[in-house]
Amino acid sequence: MNAFVSLNHNGISTSKLFRKILLVLLFSIAVCLVLWAGQWAANRAFQTQADAIHRAIDINALGLRAEIAKYSALPYSATLQPDVINALSQDDAMLRQRVNLYLEDVNQRVGSDAFYVMDLKGLTIAASNWQSPKTFIGQNYANRPYFINALKGETGLFYGIGQTTAIPGLFVATPAYQNGKIIGVVVIKVSLRDIESAWSDFNAPIMVSDANGILFLGSVSAWKYQANRALEKDALEWLLRHKQYGERKVFSKVAWSVEYLKANSGYLIQTQLDGKTQRYLAFDQELPELGWKLTVMGDYKPILWARVTTLILGTLGTGLLIFIALYWQLREKRLIDQSNARQELEVRVKERTHELNESLAFQKAMENSLLVGMRARDLEGRIIYVNTAFCEMTGFSSSTLIGCLPPYPYWDQNDLTRHWHESKTVLSGNAALEGFESRIKHLDGHDVQTMVYTAPLIDATGKHKGWMSSVVDISEQKKSETKQRLLDAQLQHSARLASMGEMASTLAHELNQPLMALTSYASAARAFAEQDNQSLLINSLQEISVQSQRSADIVRRIRGFVKPLTTGVELCHINAIVNNVLSLLQPEIKRNQATVISKLAEILPAVSGDRVLLEQVILNLIVNSLQAMQSKSNEDRLITIETLMIDQSIHVRVSDCGTGISADVAENMFAPFFTTKTDGLGLGLNICRTIIESHHGELSFENRVNDISKGAIFSIKLPAQI
Amino acid sequence: MSQTPLNLYVVDDDEAVRRSLGMLFLSRGYSVQIFESGEAFLAAKQLDHQGCVVLDFRLDGMNGLEVLKEMRLRLSSLVVIFLSGHGDIPAAVNAVQNGAFGWLEKPCNHDLLLQKVQQALEHATQLAILKTEKDQALARWLKLTPREKEVARLVADGKTSKVIARELVSIEPRTVETHRANAFSKLGFSNSNELDRFLRHNDL
Repeated sequence: MNAFVSLNHNGISTSKLFRKILLVLLFSIAVCLVLWAGQWAANRAFQTQADAIHRAIDINALGLRAEIAKYSALPYSATLQPDVINALSQDDAMLRQRVNLYLEDVNQRVGSDAFYVMDLKGLTIAASNWQSPKTFIGQNYANRPYFINALKGETGLFYGIGQTTAIPGLFVATPAYQNGKIIGVVVIKVSLRDIESAWSDFNAPIMVSDANGILFLGSVSAWKYQANRALEKDALEWLLRHKQYGERKVFSKVAWSVEYLKANSGYLIQTQLDGKTQRYLAFDQELPELGWKLTVMGDYKPILWARVTTLILGTLGTGLLIFIALYWQLREKRLIDQSNARQELEVRVKERTHELNESLAFQKAMENSLLVGMRARDLEGRIIYVNTAFCEMTGFSSSTLIGCLPPYPYWDQNDLTRHWHESKTVLSGNAALEGFESRIKHLDGHDVQTMVYTAPLIDATGKHKGWMSSVVDISEQKKSETKQRLLDAQLQHSARLASMGEMASTLAHELNQPLMALTSYASAARAFAEQDNQSLLINSLQEISVQSQRSADIVRRIRGFVKPLTTGVELCHINAIVNNVLSLLQPEIKRNQATVISKLAEILPAVSGDRVLLEQVILNLIVNSLQAMQSKSNEDRLITIETLMIDQSIHVRVSDCGTGISADVAENMFAPFFTTKTDGLGLGLNICRTIIESHHGELSFENRVNDISKGAIFSIKLPAQI
Repeated sequence: MSQTPLNLYVVDDDEAVRRSLGMLFLSRGYSVQIFESGEAFLAAKQLDHQGCVVLDFRLDGMNGLEVLKEMRLRLSSLVVIFLSGHGDIPAAVNAVQNGAFGWLEKPCNHDLLLQKVQQALEHATQLAILKTEKDQALARWLKLTPREKEVARLVADGKTSKVIARELVSIEPRTVETHRANAFSKLGFSNSNELDRFLRHNDL
């Protein structure tokens, strides 16, 4: 599971990095696209605006040209009038008045400002405004460029401010010929106010500049008579001399900043108009026949707006796309998460179920394998649970037992009082912790000895809910205990027989002595009787009776030793027992050429016990001592047997001068079947200790380390009966 | 055959047995001496006597076998009958192999005992006769000079005078003849076969 997570984690980090790079890339592309779209929109808007401006230029140039063309033919037609020619060549008042009326009439019909005729000196001889106080008649306009140009035979075109009227207008002058000779000039002055006013309806400025760059006509009056470029000195002088724009002497630079565009002929103008900053796209159109330049502007804002709008829309669109993508991704991720979570949940449920099953199986197997019977009861004593072992122990099925209240089916019907007592003790919580023995009845009728241990049953909330008992079948144990007891008794008897066997030859030999003597005396007696030797006969017979008595004594002693186990306990005198054993062992001691010193306490209280068994223990110890000293020389074969009273105990000590007890022997000293003798059974000391312990005494041994002579000391400690 | 008086001895540490046996043998007309231990018996300096010893196998102090070995060491010709207790058979066999005449298990049938003692005494008599003969032969042998003994041994081996002379180097065959004649004369033999038998029989 861990390995799996870490693998997944690595996968995520790699994919995350990749995704980051992808995102940055996508974002860059999106930004580029948006910028490009902005540019494209701006270009498109620019193109549209430029097209519109070009259209306006075409229209306005045409309009301007048409307006001028409309009037420029008039002076020429006037020169064809015989009255006009005649008036120039003759100073005739009547004629001049007729010309005045003609001019006035034409001027009125055409709608021009003024229509007048000048002689070669530049003096006006007739004019349409002959009735006006500010009439041109009598005025000399020889300094005007249109007059100068007309005198040269050209059509003089000139836009300027009238010297008399101070009203700007277009002057168109044509020479008047008589006989191929220029005799005067006819001039028409046209105001371009109508055009100007038509232009001012236009949403962007339209301006016309002269060859010197001075804006003289246009929709923006603030810019009028200002130069779009720096004036040259000659040009300024010319302007002042010809008073083209009246008495004006200074022509300042128009208040705009120009930014030329690289791609085409247009340029951008930024300026203040009506207190607002304005940006315009402007295109120029040269009008060469007039020497003018038409400048038409278009609002630059739509182009900017187009870019900004596109940028905003693009950004918004991209943002929306990103948002949707993010949302989509989030949704996908959530779906995957949900799916993962669901899968994980399923796996966990599976695992948990598996664990639960395993744990149940484990618990079941454990319960089934238990040899200890388990029984749970509630506080009233109702059985709420039993395991297999308990069912087998009682022979009843769990369905029979569960729900039972006392008396339970496995109670012995003949011993109900005891069962009730036990049950009440347990249910009142007074059962002994170390358990109690209880005999129950199996379904098939046989008795089952059990050991019952009970503990309170506490539930998860800590509430005391009942009692849990473990019930151990100790029938086999009981049987084996009984068997063991019998076996022990048999072993003791065997040991007695074994030591008896050991002594048999000694005893037989001892008994042989008087028997031998008896045979000999009897044979001798018969011979003496035959020989009639009375004194020796009597002597022999007396010896016979003595030896018979001796034989009887020996037999009695043997019988006392061999007679079956006395089960009764009697008061025994240790000293008497020791003496009896010593007399019994006398032949054995003699055969081993050992010396026994007995130091018996004079007054000793009795001990309570089995005389024969105690005799056997002491006999065993002395025989062991004798055997331990076999490797010693005769003089060293010394056994000391003492009886003494210490505190409330009687002690019997058997010390020898043998080889002593080595550490490894000491370890196994009382172990059954342990022996150092080649023909020993290894039961002696084990049985001895059992016997002494059954008399509430102790059997111990030590080496005589603090003594000059080496050897072992065996001590019996028995409680005194006072 | 000289009639040396035969002696009967009883060695037993049990007084009753000792005394009863003494009484038994007395009742059958034997002259008997009793001892309470092997040491006491050996100390009585009667080992060179002819006769029979009834010896208890299990004795305080030296046991029966030790006493027997000591007797053999001292070249005693007394015939030994062991009395042994039950279960001492291996020891008894050992005793017989060491030169005991026989053994009896206690308690024994007195007739058997008496019979065995009688046999032992007869055996002792035979031994006594043999001993007497041996003693006499030895006495004769001791009369020979060393050179004569030397020559006699070689003659008994069946060697001729010439060979003997060559072996003994410094003497003549004639001298050998002389020594041979002297030896035969002193020992009372007439040929080398008799001489050979005599030497062997008497362990000379």
